Amino acid sequence: MSNTTEQALHRILAATFEELGLIVPDVELSPRQSASSLDFAVSVAFRGPVSGRLVLRASACVLPELAANMLGADQEHDQSLQQDALGELANVICGNFLPQVAGASAVFVLSAPQWQGEVANNNDNCSVKARAALGVGEGRAVAELVLFGDLSNTAEFRAIAA
Amino acid sequence: MAFNVLVVDDSAVMRTMVIRTLKMSGVPIANIYQAGNGEDGLNMLHEQWVDLLLLDVNMPIMDGEEMLQHVRANPDTKDLSVIVVSTEGSEIRLANLQALGASVVRKPFTPVMLRNVIIQATGVTDVEYYGAGAASDSGSDF
Repeated sequence: MSNTTEQALHRILAATFEELGLIVPDVELSPRQSASSLDFAVSVAFRGPVSGRLVLRASACVLPELAANMLGADQEHDQSLQQDALGELANVICGNFLPQVAGASAVFVLSAPQWQGEVANNNDNCSVKARAALGVGEGRAVAELVLFGDLSNTAEFRAIAA
Repeated sequence: MAFNVLVVDDSAVMRTMVIRTLKMSGVPIANIYQAGNGEDGLNMLHEQWVDLLLLDVNMPIMDGEEMLQHVRANPDTKDLSVIVVSTEGSEIRLANLQALGASVVRKPFTPVMLRNVIIQATGVTDVEYYGAGAASDSGSDF
């Protein structure tokens, strides 16, 4: 995966946390943030010229802050709303990232965010095409682009994989 | 002038976010109605007088583009001010929506960005909103 693609994912991840999550993230992770666990994940599947999903993983400590900022301080302990808030972040990251890598003329259909719950490991390692991470408080958030199928014949994939 | 606003988005969280941002934008609001898809949104338009429609694109049952086509085909709502609030990045889709008379604001967005698009979409001037001494930009970064 090209540096340009990962830089685009990193830039969009940071901008979305800042503008939608109202959190100013650390673009460089501290050793403590890097060592923090990724406890929860949500994914947004997409289909179009290429198909795959955008997975957003986060440390447990990130979710209450997100929910409070996005929905109000009285909502920070509602786990369902915490999940929805993380899902909306993933949706916005995915929607802004795809045109960056596939071109503005490409049409994608995005599915609703799917909560993946508590996750111990990333099972998509073999097909992750781009990854970006931010430090958030004592924890971190990681966005991963996963692509499906034989994509070698699409111009978009060649661009993504360049 | 205070607006009656309909927010159509399948995500309750995003509707809440849009409404919070709308309230922070300083635009005078009378009533805010909500719907979870285009079909429910059309039903709401039959029941309530709405001045401004904030519309998501990707929704189940009826998406934003189809709802907008219905809105424009109805003599009662054909001139309604519509702002598409979406992550949609396809130039083709955006062109289709703009051809139907919709303005577009991309997520994520700030209250100032939303206010400016509302002014543009409704044709109501900044002065009508805030008076002659209104600041041009609050610099808020919600």
